[in-house]
Amino acid sequence: MIINFLFYFFSFSLLVSSLMVISVQNAVHSVLFLVLSFISSASLLFLLECEYIALLFIMIYVGAIAVLFLFVVMMLDTKTVNVKKDLLKYFPFGSLIGIIFSLEIFFLIGKNFKSNSYIDSVLFNFYTNWFDKLDTLTELESIGQVLYTHYVVQFLIAGNILLLSVIGAVSLTIKTTQSARKQVIFKQLSRTYKNVLIV
Amino acid sequence: MTVETLLFKNINILPELFLGISLVYFVLHGTFLSVNKNFYLIQTSCIYLGILILGMASFLVFNDNLDVLEISIINNTINNDFLSLFSKITVGIISSFSLLMMYGYLNDQRINHFEYVLLILFSVLGLFLLCSSNDLLTAYLAIELQSLSFYVLASFKKNSTFSVDAGIKYFILGAFSSSLFLFGSSLIYGLTGSINFDDFNDLFFCVFPGSSLVFVNIKEYYENQDQSILLYALAEKLSTFNEKVLSESDALLLKSEIKNTNVFENSSLNFDKIITYNWIGVHTIQFFKNVQLDINTQLLTKEELDYLQNWVSFAEPAQEQILQVINLDFSPLTIKYGNMLSEKYSEVFSGWYFGIFSLLLASCVKLTDFQELELFDSSFDTNLLQFALVFLLISLFFKLAIAPFHLWSPDVYEGSPTSSTFFFAVVPKLAIFILLIRIFYYGFYGFIDSWRYFIVIIAILSIIVGSFGGLEQRKIKTLLAYSSISHMGYSLIAFNSGTLEGLQMLIGYLLIYTISGLCIWSIFILTRLKNPYVRKQNKDLTDIVSLGKTNKILAIFFAISLLSIAGFPPMIGFLVKIGLFLTAIESSMYFLALISILCSVVATFYYIRIIKIIYFEKTIVGKLYHPVTSQKGVVVVILSMLLLFLFVNPSLLFLLSYKVSLLILPSFVNPTL
Repeated sequence: MIINFLFYFFSFSLLVSSLMVISVQNAVHSVLFLVLSFISSASLLFLLECEYIALLFIMIYVGAIAVLFLFVVMMLDTKTVNVKKDLLKYFPFGSLIGIIFSLEIFFLIGKNFKSNSYIDSVLFNFYTNWFDKLDTLTELESIGQVLYTHYVVQFLIAGNILLLSVIGAVSLTIKTTQSARKQVIFKQLSRTYKNVLIV
Repeated sequence: MTVETLLFKNINILPELFLGISLVYFVLHGTFLSVNKNFYLIQTSCIYLGILILGMASFLVFNDNLDVLEISIINNTINNDFLSLFSKITVGIISSFSLLMMYGYLNDQRINHFEYVLLILFSVLGLFLLCSSNDLLTAYLAIELQSLSFYVLASFKKNSTFSVDAGIKYFILGAFSSSLFLFGSSLIYGLTGSINFDDFNDLFFCVFPGSSLVFVNIKEYYENQDQSILLYALAEKLSTFNEKVLSESDALLLKSEIKNTNVFENSSLNFDKIITYNWIGVHTIQFFKNVQLDINTQLLTKEELDYLQNWVSFAEPAQEQILQVINLDFSPLTIKYGNMLSEKYSEVFSGWYFGIFSLLLASCVKLTDFQELELFDSSFDTNLLQFALVFLLISLFFKLAIAPFHLWSPDVYEGSPTSSTFFFAVVPKLAIFILLIRIFYYGFYGFIDSWRYFIVIIAILSIIVGSFGGLEQRKIKTLLAYSSISHMGYSLIAFNSGTLEGLQMLIGYLLIYTISGLCIWSIFILTRLKNPYVRKQNKDLTDIVSLGKTNKILAIFFAISLLSIAGFPPMIGFLVKIGLFLTAIESSMYFLALISILCSVVATFYYIRIIKIIYFEKTIVGKLYHPVTSQKGVVVVILSMLLLFLFVNPSLLFLLSYKVSLLILPSFVNPTL
C-alpha cells in the first residue's frame, strides 16, 4: 500500500519535473528541475530494490552531470529569450506528432502487458517454485560477478570508450602551437612584487 | 552452463585484443615522441605505425581458421563466423589503404598530431567488434566506439569553423540516433528478456511472418490447419488436465475425431497417427478421471463415454509397444524439442509420456512444414516488438545516412577535413550493414514481412534523393555524399528482398561499393593542387579541370572508377547493379526496380559531368598538381584494375559473396541445424 503510494508519488514528480525542465524559462531553474527528475527516478529504482543502480544514478547524474550543467549555465550568462514566439510556431505540429507517437506506443504497451500472453496457449499455468528463483546475493555482488565474467569483453570495450573520450577531449582542446607550460624554478624565485607588472 | 571468462583459449578475438593493446602502446609512443622537442613531424611515423598495426591485425584475422564449434564465443556475445571474418579483413585492408592515402593531405593541412591516427585505429577497433557482435549490448558499445572517434575526426581541424561545425552536427545527430538504438533495445529486452541474436533466432524463427497470422484463439486455428496438428494441439491441451482450458469446440472436435477414426480397422493410417490417437486416448483417461462429472453432464453422452472407455481400454496395453518404438526412433529434432519441453512437462509426463510426446512432435514436423510448430508461441503479440525494430532500423539508417535521415551527411562530409571524410565515407558502411544483417536476417527473420515494405519506401526515397540531390552540386565532397546516399538506397533493395540471392548481392554490392569508393576518394585526395591557396579545404569541381592533360593515367583511373559506380558495362559496377535489379525483380518488386533503374540513369549525369570536366572543359590554363608517389600509385592502379578485372571474371566476387551469405544463416538454409 505505502509502496504503491510512493511509486505513484515519485512517478508523478518525475513526470512533472521533466516537463518543467523543458518548459521553464530560466536555465538555472531548468537544471534544478533536472536534478529533481534524476532524484525521483533514483527513488523509483530504490522502490524496485535496485539500490546500487539508484545510488549510481544519484552519484553520476546529480553529482557529476547536473553540477556540470549548473556550472556551464551559470558561466554562460544566457539571457532569457522569449520562447513563446517559437512555441506557437512549433507547438501544434510537434505536439501532434508527439501525441500520435505516444498514443501508438501506449496502446501497444497496454496490449502487450495487459494480461498474460500465454493465456490461450497450451503452455499456460505451470507450477513454479518461486522460492528457488529468489536470489540471495546482494545487488552489488551479482553485478560484479556478471560484469567480470559474462561481460568481460563488453567491460573492456567500455574502458576503451572511456580512453577514447579522454584522448578526444584532450586533443580537441589542447593548444600545441604554444610550448608546454613548464615550471622554471629560477624564474619563479626571482619574481618579486616589483617586477611582476613589467611585461 | 559454465561461465566463460576471458581466457587464453578464447583466442578467436585475438585480432581485437591485439588492436586494443597496441592502441595503448601507440598512445605511449605518440606521447613520448611529441613531448620531445627535437621531433616535430610525428605524423609520418604514426601513419606507418598505424598501417603496420592494421596490417598485422588483418593478418591475424586472415589466419583465424574458423573453428566451427566455437563460432559463438564469450558467452555468445561475439560471433566469429565467416561473415565477420570477411568483413573484418575488408575493413582492415581498406582502412590501412586509406591511412596510406591520407599522408600527403595531412602534411598539407599541417595536422601533426599523433591522435589523428590513434582515433582512426580506435574506430577500426569499433568496426571490428561491430562486425562480430552477436548481441545488442556489444553492438551498441562498438557503434559508440567507432562513432565517438568519428565525431572527433570530423572536428579535428580546430582552426577551421567548418570542421568544428561538422563535428558538432555529427555529434548531436549521432547521439540522437544512438539514443533511438538504446530505446529500441530496451523495448526488445523488456519484451523478450534477452539481448542475444541467437536467442531471438530461437524465439522468433517459428513465428509466422506478419502479425495478421497470429491467431486470436485456437478455434480459428482449428479451421485452417491440418488434422494431425489439431490432434496434437488437442492432446497437449488434454495433458494439462485443466477443464477450464478445454473449450467446447475442443470437446466437439475430440468427439468427432474419436467417432470418425477407427484405429483398429483402418490399416491405411500411418504409424504416427496411431501413436497420436493412442496418446490422446491415454490422456483422455486421466482427463476423465479428473473431470468426469463435468464431462458426464455437459459434453459427452453416456454412450459416447462408454465408447471412449472401450477404446481406451484397448489403448492401454499398447503402451508397451509404443515404448519400444520410441527407443528406436530419436531424430535430432526430437531431442532438441524434447529438451526444450522437458522442463515444462516434467511434472506432467513421467517416463514414457515424455518419449511419446517428443515422437509426436517429430511426427508433426515430418508431416507438415517446420513452421507449423508455431503453435508454441502463436499467442505472443508481436506489435510492440515491431515497434522496437523500427527504432533499431531508424537508428542504423541514421548512421548509414539513408534518405529521410540523411540531412547531416552532405554538411558533415563537406565541413570535416577531407581525410576524415574519406574515412567515414568508405569504411563504416559495410560494418553497419553487417549488423543490420545480423539483427534482421539472423535474429528477427520471422518478422520480415513487417519491415520489408517500410524499407522499400525508404530505399526509393533514398535513391531519388541521392540521384536528384547530386545534380546541382559544385563541390566534389557533397556530390560524393549524395552518391553514397543513393548507393545505400540501392543496397537496401537487396536487403529487403529477404532471399539468399538478395543477401549475396547485398554483400557483393557493398564490397564493390567500398572498393570503388576507396579508389575515387584516393584519387580525389591525391590530386593536390600546386597553388598558393593549396590549403583550401574544399575542392570544387573546377579544381580538377583538364586533369586529363596534366595527369593522364590518374584521369583515366578516375574515369574508370566513376563509371564503375555509375554502372557502365566494362566495369564490375555494372554486374553488381544488374544483380541488384534482378533480385528486386525476382522478389516481384517491379515498381521498385523500375524507379531505381530510372534514377540510376539520372545519377549517371553527375558522374559523367565530372568526366567531362576532367577531359573536355574549354579552358586555356589547366591546374598543376603535386606528383603522386609510386607506392600510392601502385595502390590506385591495383584498385582500378580490380574494377576492370572483376568484370572479366566476376566469379571470384560471386563465389565469395555466395559463401558469405550461405554461412550467415545456418537456420535459414536448414532449419534442423
